Amino acid sequence: MLPLEGMRVLDMTQIMAGPYCTMVLGDLGADVMKIERIPGGDDTRRMGPFVENESVSFMMINRNKKSLTLNLKTEKGKQIFYELAKKADVIVENYKPGVVKSLGIDYETIEAMNPGIIYCSVSGYGQTGPYSHKGGFDIMAQGMTGLMSMTGEPGGRPVKAGIAMNDISAGVTALYSILAAYVHKMKTGVGQYIDVSLVESGLAWSVWESAAYFGAGEVPTATGSRHRMNAPYQAYKTKDGYVLVGGANQRNWEKFCKGVVEKPEWIDDPRFLTTVERVKNVEELEQCIEEIFIHETTAYWVNKLDQAEVPGGPINTYDQTLNDPHILARGMVQEFEHPRAGKMKTLGIPAKLSKTPGQIRMAAPMLGQHAEKILSEDLGYTPEEIQQLRENGVI
Amino acid sequence: MGALDGLKILDLSQILAGPYCTMVLGDLGAEVIKLEKLNGGDDTRQMGPFVNGESTSFFQINRNKKSITVNLKTDEGKEVFYRLAKEVDVIVENYRPGVAASLKIGYEDIKKINPGIIYCSISGYGQTGPYSHKGGFDLVAQGMSSLMSITGEKGGRPLKSGVAVYDIGAGITAAYAILAAYVHKLKTGNGQHVDLSLAEIGLPWFAWEAAAYFANGTIPTATGHRHRALAPYQAFRTKSSYFMLGCGNQRNWEKFCIEVIDRPGWIRDPRFIDNKMRIENIEILEKEIESILIEHDTKYWTERCEKAGVPAGPINNFDEAMNDPHYLARDMVQEVDHPVIGKMKMIGIPTKLSETPGEIRSASPVLGQHTLEVLRSLGYTEEEINQLEGNKVISKANVNETL
Repeated sequence: MLPLEGMRVLDMTQIMAGPYCTMVLGDLGADVMKIERIPGGDDTRRMGPFVENESVSFMMINRNKKSLTLNLKTEKGKQIFYELAKKADVIVENYKPGVVKSLGIDYETIEAMNPGIIYCSVSGYGQTGPYSHKGGFDIMAQGMTGLMSMTGEPGGRPVKAGIAMNDISAGVTALYSILAAYVHKMKTGVGQYIDVSLVESGLAWSVWESAAYFGAGEVPTATGSRHRMNAPYQAYKTKDGYVLVGGANQRNWEKFCKGVVEKPEWIDDPRFLTTVERVKNVEELEQCIEEIFIHETTAYWVNKLDQAEVPGGPINTYDQTLNDPHILARGMVQEFEHPRAGKMKTLGIPAKLSKTPGQIRMAAPMLGQHAEKILSEDLGYTPEEIQQLRENGVI
Repeated sequence: MGALDGLKILDLSQILAGPYCTMVLGDLGAEVIKLEKLNGGDDTRQMGPFVNGESTSFFQINRNKKSITVNLKTDEGKEVFYRLAKEVDVIVENYRPGVAASLKIGYEDIKKINPGIIYCSISGYGQTGPYSHKGGFDLVAQGMSSLMSITGEKGGRPLKSGVAVYDIGAGITAAYAILAAYVHKLKTGNGQHVDLSLAEIGLPWFAWEAAAYFANGTIPTATGHRHRALAPYQAFRTKSSYFMLGCGNQRNWEKFCIEVIDRPGWIRDPRFIDNKMRIENIEILEKEIESILIEHDTKYWTERCEKAGVPAGPINNFDEAMNDPHYLARDMVQEVDHPVIGKMKMIGIPTKLSETPGEIRSASPVLGQHTLEVLRSLGYTEEEINQLEGNKVISKANVNETL
C-alpha cells in the first residue's frame, strides 16, 4: 500500500519544477496524469541524451505518470480536460501567469465545477507583484535570490549552484503545500488555490544568511567552500585532492585537534578558542590545517576523521557517488524497464517510509501512451469516439 | 485557519534540517512542541548574531513553536516525554542513529505506547547501510553526493552552494514524507517510521546529470556561471556588476543579437549559428558579448533585455534581494515581535494558499518558555512541576538569562 493511493493529479507542467513535484506524488502512490500538448509534448522530450529516440532526461523525472496528449485550443479538447478536472483532487500547472485564464482552464473555472480542487500554479515570480508578468527560469532565480552572490570564491565571479537548485526548491515547496492542502481537504472537503514561485521558494532557503542580515546587517558574500558561521567546516587541500571537515561544535573541534591533526595545543590557542574566534581567524586556521593535510592523501584523512568520530568525507565525482557502497545499499540507484528504451537506471527514493514505502511502479510514459486507457476507463469514451478525437487532432 | 490545524508534533531536533521541517509544518498550522536539553537547548541558540543575548539564527527557523526543556537522561524526564509522545501525531528527531534507541525514545519504544505515531528520523547517512553510524553535516553531504564537484569554476577549487541546500532539502523532504504518512494515518489510523538522510535527499535533484550518466556514462563537471547545455545562458560582466542572461532558445538569441546588442550579423555567424555551435565556441562568445556589455551598467542591459522580451535579471546580493520591490510586494520579508530580541525581521512564507494561508503566529520561543504551559496541559500539578524543577528534570524560562 502507498500513502497517497486514491489521490488523482492532473499534471500540466513541463521541464523540471512541476514534473519533480508530480514525480514525488507519483512515487508515493498518487495517480498522475500528465497532459501534454500536441505536437511534441513536454519540452524535455527533446532534451538528450536519447535511447531509441526516447529522451533519457524525460525518463529521469516522469516515472510513475501516465501521458495523455490533448489539444486545449479545441473545444473538444477543453471538454475532455474539464471531465478529467471534475474527477481530480489536484491540478499542477506552470504556465506564465495569465495563460491558463486565456485557455479557460484557470482556478476559478475549475473550482466552479469541482469546489474541492487543489490547484497549484508554479511560476518564475508568482501570480502577483511587479514581476509576475516576466518569465523566470532557475538561473534568474539563482541571481534574484542572492544565491549566486553567495556561491563562489571570495571576490571572484558569481557562480551558480551545480544543479537547478531553485527549480527543485519550487518543486518541493509545491509538493508540501499540495499535501497540506490535501490534508485540509480530507478533513473539510474544501479545496484551494496555491501560488508558488521560484524566486520565493529559493529565498526561503537562505536561513543563516537572513540571520546575519537581519540580526547584524551583514550582507553575506561568497565563502568558497567555507561555512558562514562555523569553523573548521570546509574543504581542505590534501596530497591528492580535497577532504571535507565538519567540525561544527566544540566537541568535534577538540576531537579534531587531538585525534586527527594531533595538535592538542590548538584547543587552548587563543586564536581558535571558540567558534567565534575560529571564524574570525578562518584564514589562519585554514593555513595551519592545510600545512598538515598536504602531506597525506584524502583517503588517509577520511579514515582518520572516521576513527576520531569527526564528521568528514571526500568530494566525490558523480560516478563515485553513484557507485558508492552506501548509496547502493540505500537503494538510491534503481533499474526499470522502459517499453522502448529497455533496461534503464534511475535515481531511487530518498524518503524511506517503513509501512508505505514509495515505489517506482512504471517507467516514464511515451508521448500519449495512456490516451486510450484514460479516455475509455476513466471517462467512458467508446473506441469509435476515441478514433474520431484522434482524427480531429484533439488527442 | 491553517491547513494542518490539529496536527501535533513533538520536535526533538536541532540546528537546521529538523527545525526547518517543523517550521514549515508549524507555518501551515501544526502545533509544534520543541523539546530542548536543559543546558543551553538547541545548539543554534549559541550561534550568532545575538540581540539582547538571544540568537537571531535560532529566531529565523523556530517561529510558531513552543519550547519545553526536559532532561531525557532522568527517569522522570523520560516519563514527561512518554506522556507527550502519547498525545502527538508526529515525532521528529535528528540524533545519530542508535542514540534515540539507547535513550529508550526510539520508534520501537514509542510505537508500543502510541501505535499511530509517525516517527521521522533525519540523519547524515540514514538508519541503515555501511555509513549509518557516521555523523554527517550539510557540507559532508554536498561532497558525498558530488554536488561540490559540479559547482565552481572549471579546474578550480571545489565550492559549496551558497546556502545549506542539503540541510534545508532534508527538512523539506521530511516535511512532505511526514505529510504523506499523515494522509495514510488519517485513512487507516496507522503510523510508521520515516528514515531519511542528508546524503540521499539531494540525489534525485540531479535529473539532467543522471540522464547523461546513466545513458552514456558522462560525468558532469563544474561549469562555473554557465549552463551545462545552453548558451548564452549565464552571468555576464557589465560596467557596474554582473547580470544573468538566459537565451534558452534560438528566438531569444536572435532577439538578443538584433534588439539588445545590435549585432544582427551574429545570427548568420557560423560560430554562433545554433545552440550547439554556441556551446562549442562559448569562450569566444563570452568574450565578444562582454566586450559590448562592459560599456553600460547592469540596469541599462536589464531594461533593454526586458524591452526585447529576452529573459534576463540581476545577480542580487542579499541586501538587494531583501529590498527588492517584488519580494516586498509578495510579503517575503516580515517583522515579528520577540519577547527578548524585540522587533526583528525574517523571511516570509514562500507558498501562498488561498483558503488556509501559512501564518507567522509567534516568534521563536526563549529556552523553556512553554515548559509550564505544556506540563500543565499534561495534567502535572504545581507541586509535581516544582519537584521536577528541583530535581533538574525540567527548567522554566528565564528571559533574563544571558547565553
